[in-house]
Amino acid sequence: MEIKKYKKVSSTNLLAKKETNKPWSIILAEEQTTGYGRKKDYWFSPKGGLYFSIILPKSNIEDLQTLTLLAAFAVAETIKENLEIEPFIKLPNDVYINNKKVAGILTENVVGKDVKFSVMGIGLNTNISKFPKKLEGVATSLQLESKKKINNKKILVEIVKKIKKQLEIISA
Amino acid sequence: MKLNLNIGNKKYDIELNKTNGGSINIKVDGEEFLFQETKKEKKEPSLAKTSLPKRNFSEKEIKAPISGIISEIFAKEGDVIKQGEKVALLSAMKMENEIISDFDGKIKTALIKQEQTVKEGEILFLLD
Repeated sequence: MEIKKYKKVSSTNLLAKKETNKPWSIILAEEQTTGYGRKKDYWFSPKGGLYFSIILPKSNIEDLQTLTLLAAFAVAETIKENLEIEPFIKLPNDVYINNKKVAGILTENVVGKDVKFSVMGIGLNTNISKFPKKLEGVATSLQLESKKKINNKKILVEIVKKIKKQLEIISA
Repeated sequence: MKLNLNIGNKKYDIELNKTNGGSINIKVDGEEFLFQETKKEKKEPSLAKTSLPKRNFSEKEIKAPISGIISEIFAKEGDVIKQGEKVALLSAMKMENEIISDFDGKIKTALIKQEQTVKEGEILFLLD
Protein backbone atom coordinates (compact mmCIF):
# COMPACT_ATOMS: atom_id res chain seq x y z
CA MET A 1 0.00 0.00 0.00
CA GLU A 2 1.55 3.27 -1.13
CA ILE A 3 0.95 5.95 1.50
CA LYS A 4 2.03 9.55 0.98
CA LYS A 5 2.12 11.19 4.35
CA TYR A 6 1.85 14.92 4.97
CA LYS A 7 1.97 16.97 8.15
CA LYS A 8 -0.57 19.60 7.20
CA VAL A 9 -2.64 19.95 4.04
CA SER A 10 -5.66 21.97 2.98
CA SER A 11 -7.61 18.80 2.26
CA THR A 12 -6.45 15.30 1.38
CA ASN A 13 -9.07 15.06 -1.39
CA LEU A 14 -7.93 18.34 -2.94
CA LEU A 15 -4.31 17.25 -2.81
CA ALA A 16 -5.13 13.82 -4.20
CA LYS A 17 -6.77 15.44 -7.24
CA LYS A 18 -3.52 17.23 -8.06
CA GLU A 19 -1.00 14.73 -6.81
CA THR A 20 -1.58 11.31 -8.30
CA ASN A 21 -3.87 9.02 -10.21
CA LYS A 22 -2.32 5.74 -9.17
CA PRO A 23 -5.12 3.47 -7.97
CA TRP A 24 -5.11 2.59 -4.30
CA SER A 25 -2.43 5.08 -3.40
CA ILE A 26 -3.23 6.95 -0.21
CA ILE A 27 -2.83 10.60 0.71
CA LEU A 28 -2.60 10.84 4.48
CA ALA A 29 -2.42 14.03 6.52
CA GLU A 30 -1.85 14.68 10.22
CA GLU A 31 -4.13 17.69 9.97
CA GLN A 32 -6.27 19.51 7.42
CA THR A 33 -6.80 23.24 7.34
CA THR A 34 -9.87 23.13 5.10
CA GLY A 35 -11.15 19.59 5.43
CA TYR A 36 -14.62 19.38 3.94
CA GLY A 37 -17.54 17.08 3.47
CA ARG A 38 -20.40 17.22 1.02
CA LYS A 39 -21.52 20.68 -0.08
CA LYS A 40 -18.18 21.88 1.26
CA ASP A 41 -19.28 21.42 4.87
CA TYR A 42 -16.32 22.00 7.13
CA TRP A 43 -14.70 18.93 8.71
CA PHE A 44 -12.88 19.65 11.96
CA SER A 45 -9.44 18.12 11.32
CA PRO A 46 -6.95 18.80 14.11
CA LYS A 47 -3.82 16.77 14.81
CA GLY A 48 -4.62 13.35 16.27
CA GLY A 49 -7.42 12.45 13.86
CA LEU A 50 -7.15 10.21 10.83
CA TYR A 51 -7.62 12.02 7.51
CA PHE A 52 -6.90 10.26 4.27
CA SER A 53 -7.94 9.93 0.65
CA ILE A 54 -7.87 6.81 -1.46
CA ILE A 55 -7.34 7.09 -5.20
CA LEU A 56 -9.89 4.68 -6.62
CA PRO A 57 -9.36 2.68 -9.80
CA LYS A 58 -11.45 3.75 -12.77
CA SER A 59 -14.81 2.11 -12.25
CA ASN A 60 -18.28 2.69 -13.50
CA ILE A 61 -20.15 5.36 -11.60
CA GLU A 62 -22.81 3.02 -10.20
CA ASP A 63 -20.11 0.87 -8.60
CA LEU A 64 -18.51 3.96 -7.08
CA GLN A 65 -21.82 4.94 -5.56
CA THR A 66 -22.26 1.49 -4.06
CA LEU A 67 -18.68 1.56 -2.82
CA THR A 68 -19.25 4.90 -1.10
CA LEU A 69 -22.10 3.35 0.86
CA LEU A 70 -20.07 0.27 1.68
CA ALA A 71 -17.16 2.39 2.90
CA ALA A 72 -19.25 3.39 5.93
CA PHE A 73 -19.61 -0.31 6.76
CA ALA A 74 -15.85 -0.78 6.37
CA VAL A 75 -15.20 2.06 8.83
CA ALA A 76 -17.83 0.83 11.28
CA GLU A 77 -16.57 -2.74 11.14
CA THR A 78 -12.99 -1.64 11.76
CA ILE A 79 -14.08 0.38 14.81
CA LYS A 80 -16.05 -2.58 16.15
CA GLU A 81 -13.22 -5.06 15.64
CA ASN A 82 -10.60 -2.86 17.27
CA LEU A 83 -12.49 -1.26 20.10
CA GLU A 84 -15.56 -3.37 20.80
CA ILE A 85 -17.72 -0.31 20.32
CA GLU A 86 -20.99 -0.64 18.45
CA PRO A 87 -21.07 2.18 15.89
CA PHE A 88 -24.20 3.28 14.09
CA ILE A 89 -24.28 3.94 10.36
CA LYS A 90 -26.38 6.87 9.38
CA LEU A 91 -27.18 6.26 5.75
CA PRO A 92 -25.87 6.95 3.29
CA ASN A 93 -22.44 7.10 4.84
CA ASP A 94 -21.79 8.74 8.17
CA VAL A 95 -20.67 6.76 11.18
CA TYR A 96 -21.96 7.64 14.62
CA ILE A 97 -21.25 6.51 18.16
CA ASN A 98 -23.75 7.38 20.88
CA ASN A 99 -25.59 9.71 18.50
CA LYS A 100 -22.47 11.72 17.72
CA LYS A 101 -20.64 11.73 14.42
CA VAL A 102 -17.27 10.02 14.44
CA ALA A 103 -16.52 9.59 10.71
CA GLY A 104 -17.50 11.04 7.36
CA ILE A 105 -16.87 9.87 3.83
CA LEU A 106 -16.86 11.88 0.64
CA THR A 107 -16.24 10.47 -2.82
CA GLU A 108 -15.39 12.92 -5.58
CA ASN A 109 -15.38 11.98 -9.24
CA VAL A 110 -14.36 13.73 -12.41
CA VAL A 111 -16.73 12.54 -15.10
CA GLY A 112 -16.96 13.07 -18.83
CA LYS A 113 -18.41 10.32 -20.97
CA ASP A 114 -16.92 7.98 -18.42
CA VAL A 115 -15.26 8.32 -15.04
CA LYS A 116 -11.84 9.93 -15.44
CA PHE A 117 -10.80 10.12 -11.81
CA SER A 118 -12.17 9.13 -8.41
CA VAL A 119 -11.03 9.81 -4.91
CA MET A 120 -12.62 8.76 -1.64
CA GLY A 121 -11.85 10.89 1.36
CA ILE A 122 -12.39 9.60 4.88
CA GLY A 123 -12.21 11.62 8.04
CA LEU A 124 -12.22 9.62 11.25
CA ASN A 125 -12.02 11.24 14.66
CA THR A 126 -9.55 8.99 16.39
CA ASN A 127 -7.26 10.66 18.94
CA ILE A 128 -9.18 13.88 19.44
CA SER A 129 -9.61 14.68 23.12
CA LYS A 130 -11.63 17.87 22.82
CA PHE A 131 -14.02 19.41 20.32
CA PRO A 132 -14.92 23.07 19.95
CA LYS A 133 -18.08 24.11 21.82
CA LYS A 134 -20.28 24.15 18.70
CA LEU A 135 -19.29 20.55 17.86
CA GLU A 136 -19.31 19.08 21.39
CA GLY A 137 -22.90 17.92 21.17
CA VAL A 138 -22.68 16.48 17.66
CA ALA A 139 -19.17 15.04 17.30
CA THR A 140 -17.14 12.46 19.16
CA SER A 141 -13.89 10.54 18.80
CA LEU A 142 -12.78 6.97 19.27
CA GLN A 143 -10.49 8.09 22.08
CA LEU A 144 -13.33 9.80 23.95
CA GLU A 145 -15.59 6.79 23.51
CA SER A 146 -13.06 4.03 24.28
CA LYS A 147 -10.67 5.88 26.62
CA LYS A 148 -7.86 4.32 24.59
CA LYS A 149 -5.11 5.66 22.36
CA ILE A 150 -5.83 4.69 18.78
CA ASN A 151 -3.24 3.38 16.32
CA ASN A 152 -4.10 5.49 13.26
CA LYS A 153 -1.89 3.54 10.85
CA LYS A 154 -3.42 0.20 11.81
CA ILE A 155 -6.96 1.56 11.45
CA LEU A 156 -6.10 3.12 8.08
CA VAL A 157 -4.67 -0.09 6.64
CA GLU A 158 -7.64 -2.14 7.83
CA ILE A 159 -10.19 0.25 6.37
CA VAL A 160 -8.45 0.44 2.98
CA LYS A 161 -8.18 -3.35 2.78
CA LYS A 162 -11.88 -3.73 3.46
CA ILE A 163 -12.84 -1.12 0.86
CA LYS A 164 -10.57 -2.75 -1.72
CA LYS A 165 -12.19 -6.10 -1.07
CA GLN A 166 -15.66 -4.59 -1.43
CA LEU A 167 -14.83 -3.04 -4.80
CA GLU A 168 -13.49 -6.37 -6.01
CA ILE A 169 -16.77 -7.99 -5.04
CA ILE A 170 -19.11 -5.41 -6.56
CA SER A 171 -17.19 -4.93 -9.79
CA ALA A 172 -16.59 -8.66 -10.37
CA MET B 1 -34.45 -32.53 -64.53
CA LYS B 2 -33.52 -35.98 -63.31
CA LEU B 3 -31.38 -36.80 -60.33
CA ASN B 4 -30.04 -39.93 -58.76
CA LEU B 5 -29.45 -39.62 -55.04
CA ASN B 6 -27.79 -42.09 -52.74
CA ILE B 7 -28.86 -41.69 -49.12
CA GLY B 8 -27.26 -44.30 -46.96
CA ASN B 9 -27.42 -47.51 -48.97
CA LYS B 10 -30.63 -46.58 -50.76
CA LYS B 11 -30.89 -45.11 -54.25
CA TYR B 12 -33.57 -42.56 -55.12
CA ASP B 13 -34.58 -41.61 -58.66
CA ILE B 14 -35.84 -38.06 -58.53
CA GLU B 15 -37.48 -36.13 -61.35
CA LEU B 16 -38.30 -32.44 -61.11
CA ASN B 17 -40.69 -30.74 -63.53
CA LYS B 18 -42.17 -27.30 -63.52
CA THR B 19 -45.89 -27.30 -64.36
CA ASN B 20 -47.63 -24.62 -66.44
CA GLY B 21 -49.33 -23.29 -63.34
CA GLY B 22 -45.99 -22.51 -61.75
CA SER B 23 -46.00 -25.53 -59.42
CA ILE B 24 -43.12 -27.95 -59.15
CA ASN B 25 -43.74 -31.60 -59.62
CA ILE B 26 -41.28 -33.84 -57.89
CA LYS B 27 -41.32 -37.58 -58.57
CA VAL B 28 -39.45 -39.73 -56.07
CA ASP B 29 -39.24 -43.37 -57.21
CA GLY B 30 -42.40 -42.82 -59.25
CA GLU B 31 -44.35 -41.21 -56.40
CA GLU B 32 -45.43 -37.65 -57.24
CA PHE B 33 -45.31 -34.65 -54.98
CA LEU B 34 -46.59 -31.28 -56.00
CA PHE B 35 -45.06 -28.12 -54.59
CA GLN B 36 -46.52 -24.70 -55.00
CA GLU B 37 -43.85 -22.13 -55.53
CA THR B 38 -44.12 -19.49 -52.84
CA LYS B 39 -44.40 -15.97 -54.05
CA LYS B 40 -41.69 -13.76 -52.74
CA GLU B 41 -42.75 -10.24 -52.02
CA LYS B 42 -40.33 -7.67 -53.13
CA LYS B 43 -39.28 -5.97 -49.95
CA GLU B 44 -38.70 -2.29 -49.89
CA PRO B 45 -35.78 -1.31 -47.71
CA SER B 46 -37.06 -0.25 -44.32
CA LEU B 47 -36.93 3.49 -43.97
CA ALA B 48 -36.73 3.34 -40.21
CA LYS B 49 -33.63 1.24 -40.35
CA THR B 50 -31.81 2.87 -43.19
CA SER B 51 -32.46 6.54 -42.55
CA LEU B 52 -30.31 8.38 -40.06
CA PRO B 53 -31.79 9.56 -36.79
CA LYS B 54 -33.06 13.09 -36.95
CA ARG B 55 -30.33 14.89 -35.12
CA ASN B 56 -27.56 17.17 -35.90
CA PHE B 57 -24.31 15.29 -35.58
CA SER B 58 -22.29 18.46 -35.45
CA GLU B 59 -24.02 19.19 -32.13
CA LYS B 60 -22.26 17.89 -29.03
CA GLU B 61 -24.02 17.04 -25.80
CA ILE B 62 -22.90 16.95 -22.20
CA LYS B 63 -25.11 14.60 -20.21
CA ALA B 64 -25.63 13.76 -16.54
CA PRO B 65 -23.73 10.54 -15.77
CA ILE B 66 -25.92 9.82 -12.76
CA SER B 67 -29.09 11.19 -11.18
CA GLY B 68 -28.57 13.97 -8.67
CA ILE B 69 -28.70 17.68 -7.98
CA ILE B 70 -26.76 20.33 -9.86
CA SER B 71 -24.96 22.07 -7.02
CA GLU B 72 -22.78 24.39 -9.08
CA ILE B 73 -22.62 25.55 -12.68
CA PHE B 74 -19.32 26.73 -14.10
CA ALA B 75 -20.23 27.44 -17.72
CA LYS B 76 -22.88 29.57 -19.38
CA GLU B 77 -24.28 30.00 -22.86
CA GLY B 78 -21.77 31.52 -25.23
CA ASP B 79 -18.74 30.29 -23.28
CA VAL B 80 -16.02 28.68 -25.34
CA ILE B 81 -14.82 25.63 -23.48
CA LYS B 82 -12.08 23.11 -23.97
CA GLN B 83 -12.08 19.37 -23.67
CA GLY B 84 -11.59 18.43 -20.01
CA GLU B 85 -12.93 21.72 -18.69
CA LYS B 86 -15.38 21.43 -15.81
CA VAL B 87 -18.86 22.68 -16.54
CA ALA B 88 -20.94 21.66 -13.52
CA LEU B 89 -20.92 19.95 -10.15
CA LEU B 90 -23.47 17.21 -9.64
CA SER B 91 -24.16 15.93 -6.13
CA ALA B 92 -25.48 12.42 -5.87
CA MET B 93 -25.90 10.74 -2.49
CA LYS B 94 -22.48 11.26 -0.94
CA MET B 95 -20.64 11.72 -4.18
CA GLU B 96 -19.63 14.99 -5.70
CA ASN B 97 -19.22 14.68 -9.46
CA GLU B 98 -17.29 17.24 -11.39
CA ILE B 99 -18.77 17.12 -14.87
CA ILE B 100 -16.24 17.86 -17.58
CA SER B 101 -16.68 18.41 -21.30
CA ASP B 102 -15.48 15.73 -23.67
CA PHE B 103 -15.24 18.26 -26.48
CA ASP B 104 -13.88 21.63 -27.45
CA GLY B 105 -16.72 23.92 -28.38
CA LYS B 106 -19.04 26.79 -27.64
CA ILE B 107 -21.97 26.35 -25.29
CA LYS B 108 -25.04 26.86 -27.42
CA THR B 109 -27.66 25.96 -24.82
CA ALA B 110 -27.44 25.48 -21.06
CA LEU B 111 -30.37 23.34 -20.00
CA ILE B 112 -29.81 23.39 -16.24
CA LYS B 113 -30.20 25.70 -13.29
CA GLN B 114 -28.53 25.56 -9.93
CA GLU B 115 -30.15 23.13 -7.46
CA GLN B 116 -32.02 21.46 -10.32
CA THR B 117 -32.61 17.75 -10.02
CA VAL B 118 -31.44 15.85 -13.08
CA LYS B 119 -31.83 12.28 -14.17
CA GLU B 120 -29.12 10.00 -15.50
CA GLY B 121 -28.62 10.65 -19.21
CA GLU B 122 -30.33 14.05 -19.14
CA ILE B 123 -28.69 16.59 -21.41
CA LEU B 124 -27.10 19.42 -19.44
CA PHE B 125 -25.45 21.43 -22.20
CA LEU B 126 -25.52 21.55 -25.98
CA LEU B 127 -22.35 22.61 -27.71
CA ASP B 128 -21.70 23.83 -31.22
